[in-house]
Amino acid sequence: MNTDHDPAVITAVLMAAEGAINRSLELDPASARDLTDLSGTVLAVECWAPALEIFAIVEADGQLHLTSYSEQPCSVRVRGGLSDFLTLATAEDPAVTLINSDLEIIGNSAPLIALQTIVAKMQPDWEAPLVEVLGDVAGHQLANLLRQIFRWGQTSSQSLRRQLSEFILEEGRLSPPAAELEYFYQEIDTLVLKVDRLESRLKRLAHRVDNQIQ
Amino acid sequence: MTDKTNAESGETTHFGFETVNKNQKESLVRGVFDSVASRYDVMNDLMSAGIHRLWKRFTIELSAVRPGQTVLDIAGGTGDLAAKFSHLVGDDGQVLLADINDSMLKVGRDRLLDSGAVGNLHMVQCDAQMLPFPDASIDCITIAFGLRNVTDKDMALRSMERILKPGGRLLVLEFSKPVNPVLEKIYDTYSFRILPMMGQLIANDADSYRYLAESIRKHPDQETLLGMMEDAGLVNCEYHNMTGGIVAVHRGIKA
Repeated sequence: MNTDHDPAVITAVLMAAEGAINRSLELDPASARDLTDLSGTVLAVECWAPALEIFAIVEADGQLHLTSYSEQPCSVRVRGGLSDFLTLATAEDPAVTLINSDLEIIGNSAPLIALQTIVAKMQPDWEAPLVEVLGDVAGHQLANLLRQIFRWGQTSSQSLRRQLSEFILEEGRLSPPAAELEYFYQEIDTLVLKVDRLESRLKRLAHRVDNQIQ
Repeated sequence: MTDKTNAESGETTHFGFETVNKNQKESLVRGVFDSVASRYDVMNDLMSAGIHRLWKRFTIELSAVRPGQTVLDIAGGTGDLAAKFSHLVGDDGQVLLADINDSMLKVGRDRLLDSGAVGNLHMVQCDAQMLPFPDASIDCITIAFGLRNVTDKDMALRSMERILKPGGRLLVLEFSKPVNPVLEKIYDTYSFRILPMMGQLIANDADSYRYLAESIRKHPDQETLLGMMEDAGLVNCEYHNMTGGIVAVHRGIKA
């Protein structure tokens, strides 16, 4: 139970997000179909900082229901900090991110990965639910602001990733480039094969010498 | 206690900031809701800037109603909670929409029929103090923005506790006391100056909306209502303040 926050505020955020996701699903039949396969899944997200617990429930009709309180048994519960969740939400490969992150997973991780993949693929329409709640003028302004923040976040994240990669490879020489590493691995593979062949040859020679002595 | 004995004994209660005879309150409250019934939802949206939908949604979440259960929505008015419960309990469950006021019930019935919420919904015109249902027959009771209009709140809470099944829950969503003094000042100005003005403009009825504001101030605060629910026999009682305590949802379980 979220005791540190006003339930009305959390409910407003969840309602807007739920509305946006379900509207996107209506315009994306493939994702809607994928989500229907997960019907009955209850995902609990427990964030430590800020302390917040939310539940994502996949309804029988393929709609996603977001709530701050649920007594339904959870299919999977994920615990962690906000940065871990943000990393997972924007990850290109959620399975790898889940393994490498500090997130604690209790239950079956398969529906979590499937859900993240579906949601990450979607392009939510933030404006419609905001306009519905706040009216045309305020809703449109807030939607514009959210779009700009979202776009800035995506661009910054991509730019940061690219610049970090360049620094590690080129400036800092902290890690070899992928092609160099690949060539190094091929050399090792060739060496391993040569050693194996040499070992077999030595064994054969040893066997022949033993036979001649006898 | 009958109306006659109330009148004879001269027992009084409050109707907004006025003190009236106990047997008068019911008809006075009926007058208010008869007057506002047709524009009740529009006014709710205007008065709360749409936030009442968030308060109600969180209340429904706390109810944790499951398919097949029986839910009673007291003072259900125009049926917005009942419509959601109808979906949650499914075909095997049932929702009882109760209100003492015939006008509100008719508006609610028409709205629910128009929205297609039929089959598992039943309308009951009854008094929250004397609920006409068998003992231990209901899984969940909700009363949203209705308890403050009930003449004898303790009697109503006892009546609700009686008809709840063991483990069943009561949820009371009601205006309460803001926790921040600055917010309380702003809220007071809004309630006593702007709200009656809006009532006059939208529903052509400033008095009814003045009563609504006054009745909120006379309603028990969070801790008092919590104690009343415990006195009625409910256990594990708790409350959640919403929008700075302007509204609180109380929850109690039948032992």
